[in-house]
Amino acid sequence: MKGTQLGEFEELVLLIIGVLYPNAYGLKIRIEIMEQTGRKVAIGAVHSALSRLQDKGFVKSQLAEATHERGGRRKRLFQITATGKQAIEKNHELRNSLWNKIPDMALKGLNYGGSF
Amino acid sequence: MDFKPTYQPPGLPRKILGLVCKPDLLEEIEGDLWEHYQILCEERPQWKAKLGYWFHTFHFLRPFAIKGIGQHSNSIIMYKSYFKFAMRHMWRQKMHTGFNLIGLILAFVVCTFIFLHLRSELSYDNFHDHSEDIYRVAWMNENPQTRTPHPMAQAMATDFPEVQAAVSLSPIYGPGLTRQTIQITNEENNIALEEPDGFFADSTFFDVFSFEFLEGNAKTALKEPNGIVMAKSMANRYFPDESPIGKRLSFGPNTNMLEVVGVVEDVPENAHFHFNFIISYVTLKSFNFNDPWMSWADFGHFNYIKVQHGSDVAALDNKIPEWILTYLDWTGGSRESLLDRSIGFELQPIESIHLHSNIRWELESNSSFTYLLIYGISGLFILLISIINFVNLTTARSAERLKEVGVKKTLGAYKSQLLGQFVFESLLSAYLALAISFGLVYLLELPFNELVTGRVHAQDLWQAKTLLFLISVATVTGLLAAIYPALYLNALNPGQILKGMNPKKLGGSFIRNGLLGIQFIAAIIMISGSLIIKNQITFLKNKDLGFRQDNLVIVDLEDFENKSELVKAAFSQFSGVSDVAAVSNVPGGQFNQHKIYLESDQTNQVDASEMFIDDDAARVLGLELASGRFLNQEFAQDSSGLSFLINEEAAQAFGVEDPIGAVMFWVDNENLVKGTIVGVVKNFHFKSLHVPIQPLIMMISPRNFNYIITNVNAQNLTATIPQMQASFTEIYPEDQFDYRFLDTEISELYHEESRTLKLTSVLTAISIFLSIAGLIGIVSIAIKQRVKEIGIRKILGASIRQILWLVNLRYLIVSGIAMLVAIPVSYIFMNQWLENFTYQQGINPMLFVISALLLAALILATISLISIKAVKSSPADALRHE
Repeated sequence: MKGTQLGEFEELVLLIIGVLYPNAYGLKIRIEIMEQTGRKVAIGAVHSALSRLQDKGFVKSQLAEATHERGGRRKRLFQITATGKQAIEKNHELRNSLWNKIPDMALKGLNYGGSF
Repeated sequence: MDFKPTYQPPGLPRKILGLVCKPDLLEEIEGDLWEHYQILCEERPQWKAKLGYWFHTFHFLRPFAIKGIGQHSNSIIMYKSYFKFAMRHMWRQKMHTGFNLIGLILAFVVCTFIFLHLRSELSYDNFHDHSEDIYRVAWMNENPQTRTPHPMAQAMATDFPEVQAAVSLSPIYGPGLTRQTIQITNEENNIALEEPDGFFADSTFFDVFSFEFLEGNAKTALKEPNGIVMAKSMANRYFPDESPIGKRLSFGPNTNMLEVVGVVEDVPENAHFHFNFIISYVTLKSFNFNDPWMSWADFGHFNYIKVQHGSDVAALDNKIPEWILTYLDWTGGSRESLLDRSIGFELQPIESIHLHSNIRWELESNSSFTYLLIYGISGLFILLISIINFVNLTTARSAERLKEVGVKKTLGAYKSQLLGQFVFESLLSAYLALAISFGLVYLLELPFNELVTGRVHAQDLWQAKTLLFLISVATVTGLLAAIYPALYLNALNPGQILKGMNPKKLGGSFIRNGLLGIQFIAAIIMISGSLIIKNQITFLKNKDLGFRQDNLVIVDLEDFENKSELVKAAFSQFSGVSDVAAVSNVPGGQFNQHKIYLESDQTNQVDASEMFIDDDAARVLGLELASGRFLNQEFAQDSSGLSFLINEEAAQAFGVEDPIGAVMFWVDNENLVKGTIVGVVKNFHFKSLHVPIQPLIMMISPRNFNYIITNVNAQNLTATIPQMQASFTEIYPEDQFDYRFLDTEISELYHEESRTLKLTSVLTAISIFLSIAGLIGIVSIAIKQRVKEIGIRKILGASIRQILWLVNLRYLIVSGIAMLVAIPVSYIFMNQWLENFTYQQGINPMLFVISALLLAALILATISLISIKAVKSSPADALRHE
């Protein structure tokens, strides 16, 4: 069914929301993504992903109180929902099980650019 | 919580966001952007932070955040499909797309350049505060000039309450009233350079003009003697890494005479005069300088006034004659003429000087409004031609999209949606062309500037006004091209369309041909116009000026010691030199003028330009005698300057049948020189052909010689010039050897004309190209629609010639009508342009015949070439598929 798939970037955002609990909001999530992955992301892209996640029911949100450095505007804090948790768990399990099924032979002789 | 002030993000993007963003998302988004901006401001320079803010704000213009549309809303999908349709359509018709884009790009590039050029020309002197209140006082008599008496400026400021400030200034003139370079030396750092563009000015200079002071004080800078105010670039030459204020400079031989009291920003390009440095008149007067130059009698300075905002300038101008007679002790004719306003002072708005003033002693050579008009009209024509191409091609092509429209309509598309699609497609083409032309403008900046010796800067593209202009041009083009097909196709009944409709019935060819006619009109005006300009300029270049110009080398003398005889003697020894003369002024240059009158008729005073010559000059310049004799140094009266040569114009002004031997007075300022007319020379054009020949008087006066004119042999110039330089330096060890050729000097007078010629030639070529491209597009479509008709005609026995004639006829008729309209328009307009010249070639009717034939030949060739394939193909092929 359309709308229940978790895209790659959406998964990343969802995970970060978990990491930042309970203080996950748009800009903070962006900064965290940039720090953790080194990817350059526009604030708009994060908000877009958040709105998709919310449409799909993976996150819920509420408005926090206004702060000075935001020009007196409130921020929206995000939290993972039960469905959201299910979705990342499913992804996590899928990856783990796939990882475990890779025969050792397939990875033998590959290294990370000679750093080992 | 700390409450340090926050950085205020730029307002415009916030407003845009507020307008389009969903209200429930707005607060958090704005908050995030605000917070992010604070971080950016801490880390980066402000402009980068602002840029970042803009960037991120625009990233929110995504479907999820925008009012009225959801992520997968219909309108998003619809626009995506429009885009896809447009791209497919453009891609399928590569040639058509190519024609469209090339035409539009060319037109946009041309328009951009012309727009930028016009903007820079129209912006002259508008950078001063209240520049609309600044006026220059010019002297308008029979031979108007920019210069007026020095005391006039301050007297006006004192006597007229509406004059808020006034300044008198003058470039530092050298001999022969040429602008002189002054050697300025920084003794400390041992930097000595020849500096051009030095000015004397009243201490009120900066009350009238606004130049930004980088160092020093504008109020006091020029009050004390020996102060010098420099432009930034000059200050950097002398004081590369220190503050120049208070430092001393030598002025020519006067060691450490000047003290630097101010440094101002360099004068912007769009100023009608540029100074390197300014020295106060106070300095000059401190030398106990009692030169008549500083008196009321000498019209030798540039006077500017700044009036109170909203003053009645015409009334002020009208008060000047009575007022000035309280200072000028004029009597007789001049007084009368001044009072009856037949001569007088004119207040020229400073902003109009660059385009509208072209009188004697302009500080820099000005431009002319007529040329701007020519450029502007040419640009408009090219834009018109290319818009018409775009409209015509799009319209003609729309016939092929009948089925698409029919299907869409049956599937329930609204009329507005179809309209939207057409508008979207043509706007896409227009904006694409605009984007590409921006790139081209950057590439072509240098060649364009070289071609027209212009000063267009590609980065001016990004000025709000320029962008606005170009985007609106592109938008109007796109809309115009979309409207006709959209309205027309929309009106059709879908059932009828799908049933199969003969595209020929589609009509619109009347409008298309009409538009084609307008293109032809524009093209003919351009062709004939540039031919007329070319003719006039060739005429000016080839006109016999009445004196020799070829192989004459002019050498500057900065001579107060009368060594001209030595130089002449030295030069004439060289084998490459055939003749040498010394003169005060060179034909084509500026001339001083004073009054002359005959002893027998003292009321008839004539303003005459004067030229001091030696007895070789007439021979070297190849002047011809009308009567009497040339000057001869052997005669004591001649060599003491008491024998006069006048030109025919002066003789005519005196109205005397035979002036030879008549006693004449020459009013040299306070001196009255009484001499005899010994000869009359035939009129020669000692000034540019823009002005008629004026009375001229010539006499011997060695102390006034400023130039050596040398008649050289063209073959061994490379040897002769260094020889001349060597002996010149021997005679004047201090001076620089400057030489130029008289013919180049004279052709410089027609610089603006040559530039117009080059530009209009290029523009004409472009407009011909575009018209023909448009014709190709239309005819190729028309032929396609007539393939069957041609097939049937051939079967019935028509010959290829007859068919070609049939195909061509319609377009020839259109071009014939276009000629009937274009020729009178072009004739009237170009006649007005020619009015600017005293000596006109006139308009040769043959030019119009040539233009018409040229266009007709091009049309015939184009149409025949592209239709020949269809005409020659076997009629079976044409009629096979139905």
